[in-house]
Amino acid sequence: METIIEQQSEKTIIKINGRLDSMNSGDFEKAITPVLEGAMKDITLDCTDFEYISSSGLRLFLTLLKHSKSKGGKLCIKALKPEIKSVFDIAGFTPLFQFE
Amino acid sequence: MDAMIKVEHLSKKFDDLVVLKDINTTICKGEVISIIGPSGTGKSTFLRCLNLLETPTGGRIVINGEDILSPKADVNAMRQKMGMVFQNFNLFDHLTIMDNLTIGPVKLLGVKKEDAVARGKELLQMVGLAAKANSFPSELSGGQKQRVAIARCLSMNPEIILFDEPTSALDPTMVSEVLGVIKHLAQEGMTMAIVTHEMNFAKDVSSRILYMDEGIIYEDGTPDEIFNHPKKEKTRVFIHRIRNCRYHIEDKDYDFYGMNNVITTFCEKHFFSSNQVQSILLLVEESLQLYFDKDNLEQRNAIIKEGGGIELSIDYSEKEEEIVIYFTVTNNLPSILKTSESSDGLSMTIISGLTSSVEEDDVGDKTRFIMKVKK
Repeated sequence: METIIEQQSEKTIIKINGRLDSMNSGDFEKAITPVLEGAMKDITLDCTDFEYISSSGLRLFLTLLKHSKSKGGKLCIKALKPEIKSVFDIAGFTPLFQFE
Repeated sequence: MDAMIKVEHLSKKFDDLVVLKDINTTICKGEVISIIGPSGTGKSTFLRCLNLLETPTGGRIVINGEDILSPKADVNAMRQKMGMVFQNFNLFDHLTIMDNLTIGPVKLLGVKKEDAVARGKELLQMVGLAAKANSFPSELSGGQKQRVAIARCLSMNPEIILFDEPTSALDPTMVSEVLGVIKHLAQEGMTMAIVTHEMNFAKDVSSRILYMDEGIIYEDGTPDEIFNHPKKEKTRVFIHRIRNCRYHIEDKDYDFYGMNNVITTFCEKHFFSSNQVQSILLLVEESLQLYFDKDNLEQRNAIIKEGGGIELSIDYSEKEEEIVIYFTVTNNLPSILKTSESSDGLSMTIISGLTSSVEEDDVGDKTRFIMKVKK
């Protein structure tokens, strides 16, 4: 799993490549700590090369969403593959997020 | 019912290869017994031992009270009572169909030629080949040849017929015509022992099923017992054509990616869709998160480790097209269904969404967590 974080004007882009599972969710959590501690409120999760998510990953997506909302911002998930989207559906997370 | 054939501690070795370890069974008059099991487990060897086409290494075969392995036994007289139908028909190619049917009764039983021909016509009528009396075997299809082989067998008035994979050498289109004849004989009350891979036929026609494995009769029961309620694991795996993937998880420091690699390889081998692979990986991961619940990790890990770890088994039934995931762990570990109640519920929500049923049951001192993957 690889996490690339970029700032684009008012927005934070977090690009996640590969899998996000119980073994590497700690690494992802560390990678997003600056975002959670920072002041930027709008976040885009770029999932173009994202391959798998389990509950460990979903919890961290939820943490990012809560952070963004608490700052009055928006979190958007971009280019999520249908098979991963189905995990969001099953978990009941789909209505919480904005997808593009 | 009177025992027609009694087999006690029958064994057969070919040099160092033990094919039959210890076969014990009884065949009674009027029984139709199907012998099933994986290839190479000695089914045909067992049948060939019964009429001494193979000489057993040890044990006893008692037919109508006579031990046929005794040096005093009249083997030819015994063989006349026991017909055999082979996979490859074994007809005499240079004789007409009628001559194939009459040569045995005339030469071995002393039946008059005209009586043998009259009986031959009756038998050809019965197997639906009356019009082929003057044909030669080379002029017949495989299914027709096998029907002639059955008629020839009956011409010797056997008390029992042994069928050694009678449809294995046939085109699929010809299987039913041969099975139809065997079914007719079963309805007439003929005693038969049939080695077969035709499971539906065995289920339909047999009074008893012998499941052979590991050189023994591994399980013996009625078709309902063997096909619908097999007691033993290997029988179940065979009947449901189950392909299985196993992985042992010793403790919390298990090789997660190594395990996923084993699962993915198994899934690819059986052409699972990418959605099915993802579901299986997710179900395994979410279950293991519950087993190694972070809130009580050290305590649960100690119990798991002391109890011999966790056995993961993924069963794929080709017959039912069903995937079932089993986790087996010591029953000293608190139920994971209960553990999930005290968590945020996300793992169990995902598990429920991907499965058609989730249950736990106790097997001895172990608890199994069973998930049927949604189709």
